[in-house]
Amino acid sequence: MPEVQEQKASRERLSRIRLYVRQRPVMLVLLTAVTVVFFVFVAALSRAYRDQQRLLGNRWYQRGVADLSGKRYQAAVTDFRAALLYSRDNYTYQLNLAEALLGMNRRAEASAYFLNLWDRQPEDGLVNLELARIAAQKGQAQQAVRYYHDAVYAVWPTQQEIQRREARLELIELLLRSNAKGQAQAELIALSENANEDPVQLEVLGDLFMRAQDYEHALGEYRLSLKADGHNAKTLAGAGYAAYELGQYPLAEHYLQDAVKQDPHDSATAERLKTTEMVLRMDPYRRKISSSERGRLVLEAFATAGQRLQKCAMPSGDGADPGGMSLSDQWSALKPQITQRGLQRSSDLADGAMDLVFRIERQTSLSCGAPTGPDLALLLISKLREGNRF
Amino acid sequence: MSLQGDPESEVLADHTEPPRATAWIYEHSPRTVWRAVFREDNFFLVLSVFIGVLSGLAVVCFRYAIDWARLYLLGTGVVLTPVRLLLAPSLAGLVISVLVIHVFPRTRGSGVNQTKAALYIYNGHIPFRTAIGKFITAALAIGSGHSLGPEDPSLQIGASLASVLGRKMRLSRDRMRLIAPVGAAAGLAAAFNAPISAVLFVIEEVIGRWTAGILGSVVLSAISSVVVMRWFLGSESMFRIPAVEMTQPLELIAYAVLGVVGGIASVVFASGIGILRPAFKGLPRWTQYFQPAIAGLLIGIIAVLGAPQVMGAGYEYIDQAMHGQFTWQFLAILAGLKIVATLLSFVSGTPGGMFAPTLFIGAMLGAAVGGAERYMFPYLTISPGTYALVGMGVLFAGFLRAPMTSVFMVLEVSGNYSIIVPVIVANTFSYVISRGLQPIPIFDVLTRQDGLELPSMEELREEDILQVEDAMQPGEGPVLDAEETVEKALQHVDGTRGEDLLVRLSPSGWSTVTRDHLRALASDGKASAKLGPLLLVPRIPYLHPDLPLETALRYIERWPLVPVVSRANFQQLEGVVSQRSVLDRYREFGEG
Repeated sequence: MPEVQEQKASRERLSRIRLYVRQRPVMLVLLTAVTVVFFVFVAALSRAYRDQQRLLGNRWYQRGVADLSGKRYQAAVTDFRAALLYSRDNYTYQLNLAEALLGMNRRAEASAYFLNLWDRQPEDGLVNLELARIAAQKGQAQQAVRYYHDAVYAVWPTQQEIQRREARLELIELLLRSNAKGQAQAELIALSENANEDPVQLEVLGDLFMRAQDYEHALGEYRLSLKADGHNAKTLAGAGYAAYELGQYPLAEHYLQDAVKQDPHDSATAERLKTTEMVLRMDPYRRKISSSERGRLVLEAFATAGQRLQKCAMPSGDGADPGGMSLSDQWSALKPQITQRGLQRSSDLADGAMDLVFRIERQTSLSCGAPTGPDLALLLISKLREGNRF
Repeated sequence: MSLQGDPESEVLADHTEPPRATAWIYEHSPRTVWRAVFREDNFFLVLSVFIGVLSGLAVVCFRYAIDWARLYLLGTGVVLTPVRLLLAPSLAGLVISVLVIHVFPRTRGSGVNQTKAALYIYNGHIPFRTAIGKFITAALAIGSGHSLGPEDPSLQIGASLASVLGRKMRLSRDRMRLIAPVGAAAGLAAAFNAPISAVLFVIEEVIGRWTAGILGSVVLSAISSVVVMRWFLGSESMFRIPAVEMTQPLELIAYAVLGVVGGIASVVFASGIGILRPAFKGLPRWTQYFQPAIAGLLIGIIAVLGAPQVMGAGYEYIDQAMHGQFTWQFLAILAGLKIVATLLSFVSGTPGGMFAPTLFIGAMLGAAVGGAERYMFPYLTISPGTYALVGMGVLFAGFLRAPMTSVFMVLEVSGNYSIIVPVIVANTFSYVISRGLQPIPIFDVLTRQDGLELPSMEELREEDILQVEDAMQPGEGPVLDAEETVEKALQHVDGTRGEDLLVRLSPSGWSTVTRDHLRALASDGKASAKLGPLLLVPRIPYLHPDLPLETALRYIERWPLVPVVSRANFQQLEGVVSQRSVLDRYREFGEG
């Protein structure tokens, strides 16, 4: 009997426990415990999963890097895509994939990746630079300039100054190609302020200033470069060209002579030297020459201009004076008066003759193309007299 | 129905409301709060959060399982060897068929329909075994390259988990029925990483109606599951969304063309399933062991021949299509091949969902149409990425016939509301064409093929709803005033028809009195007394013309006449409804 009672009591206890467990608050506590356990389990699973994914991603990434450096772009694209399967949002993998796509000239795809990367890290220098290049290739100059600027002021992981400088150089190239010389000059000035004393860099800067038609700064950069390396033919020639453009012919002659000495095979520089020498020799207004010498130079110039007129068939009316007289008629009318004696006697006559010479050279350069030889020299002298530069 | 006129609520209020101070103490006592928390409707909300968390965890495991299956069956790279491409889906198909036939027979078929069946037939019951079966077989199928998606299995895993929890918590039958859709929303939200779309889809396609009670639970579970999923898998969307642009209104015509093409593709896809699935099911039983394997082999052949993109869910290729990495001709081919591959996988009985393939086909078709239009009309600044995005919605609207979800899904995935006009234009065309050419929606086709009779959500959505005004008639007798005397009331009713008469109470409310009762009062010597205090029924309920007619059913049996009053002026009678008028209207509706 006691056993039966005990069994009954045990059954009742069990039933009470069951009833208790089935109460909602208790069920809720149990459910919370189950959820926590499941959460911990999934967290452990997740860690194992992520480790494996990281490992696989890294393995494919390493292969991709090797292929990319070997310029096997197709293989690199496949590798980086595989790496991205395991780490879809990995910045480095995406960046390298975009680079590989660019290598394959798949610009649209690369651009999509770079834009995505830019959204994530707009301060990344390389991404900005690549986007700028893509925009430049697409002919979207404005966008390209914006990205180049961002690249110039962006964060670069290594060699920050060099990378920024390279980005700015590319920007200047773009601006020069787009004929935005004013903007290019501003960028060049900024670049020159941070330039070091490396003569090669200074020479590059000088060349860029020349292309931007900022001859003053160009001459300055060449001079700085020549301080470090005074025998560099290219730099000497550059300095000579800059001085020539500035109308500083004696200085130009000096640099060009040195340049030709350093590199006698440089025919363009030799030709420029010849022109410079001609300008210096043919200028009747230069100081410290006798009146007879001046007269001879005017006579020579007048004859040269006459020959140019004969060779160049200008439309009637071009360069005519207020009275309607053509340049040819003016020249013919003046010619009887242009003698050595007449020129020595009247400085006004010399001035009038030279004025006609300059007008003829200018007009013929417009109608018949750029002059060469003595005609070019006369044209340059006319500009010099006016205080103008090319 | 306005409760102002409900006499039951008034009576209840009179007898149960304790004095104010006592009531406050009672309402705020720990015992009352404790009871309130564990009252079933509140408890259901708490449970929805747990369902969301657990479903989210399950979906995370499911995603890992698919990835691991893919890794070990197909390899780690993106360029796969032909041997693996042919063997992996075929051998996995053999294993899957054995599991489906012998171990998990209920894992075949659509998870959406099984959840609907749980709601409408099985009182919310989905065996836990189904979840396990779906988890294993679908992970194996998708991981081995069968052209199926993880969303539908995730939905079913969520629903099944919810069903188990509901049973363990001993919920009432009403709540049990609703718990499977709550879990389904959680599973789908986690799989899609899109809680709004998941909620809308479950309401649009599973539950079929909006009610505040269920909406709260569905939203809570969907959000909880997405939070958990993002905890483990990150919050990035499934695709890198390209810059969405529509520069010219003329482009809307191009999107309409996409809608037409998508609508036709949806019909081809749905018709293929409608024809092939019963044909495959009708083959001898022994062939069912080989159907998934043969489907897998054919998909492998497609992959070896140059289109491995059709294998698996294919999300990474949707991403590539969005970023213009395929030509429009290849995109069109991929869309066609994906339809073939998905048909093969699905009709062979391989467990897995059709959401991802639908998105894939839509994206490829969209990008192809966009690419072709750009080729033909270069002056239109068409971005194939935007077309791919809209294309996904187009197929969703045309094939799955979930128009609202299709719009919100694209908005949620893209995070860009400027795309809404093209999406609506294209989806409308697709939906209308699909409806015209394929009158029965795909989920209903599958239900009927499985021998079930579940309510069609499309029909429910478009069903005419009868309103009180449809059964309303002008009152036969005069309307009496409670302030007038019995004698005057008798004079009013003299020479009029109708046994039951309405009485307008003062200052508001309605009651009723019979002609006999009036006469009896007069003969009892109460002819000069006011009618109001002598009424047998102090107050009767009233209705408004715009209320659903089913509301009237609650009252017409008890009250011979129910007044229908204006919402602007409760004293102004618009008409009356009676049992006869309501039933007559229902009969006409049924016949019509």
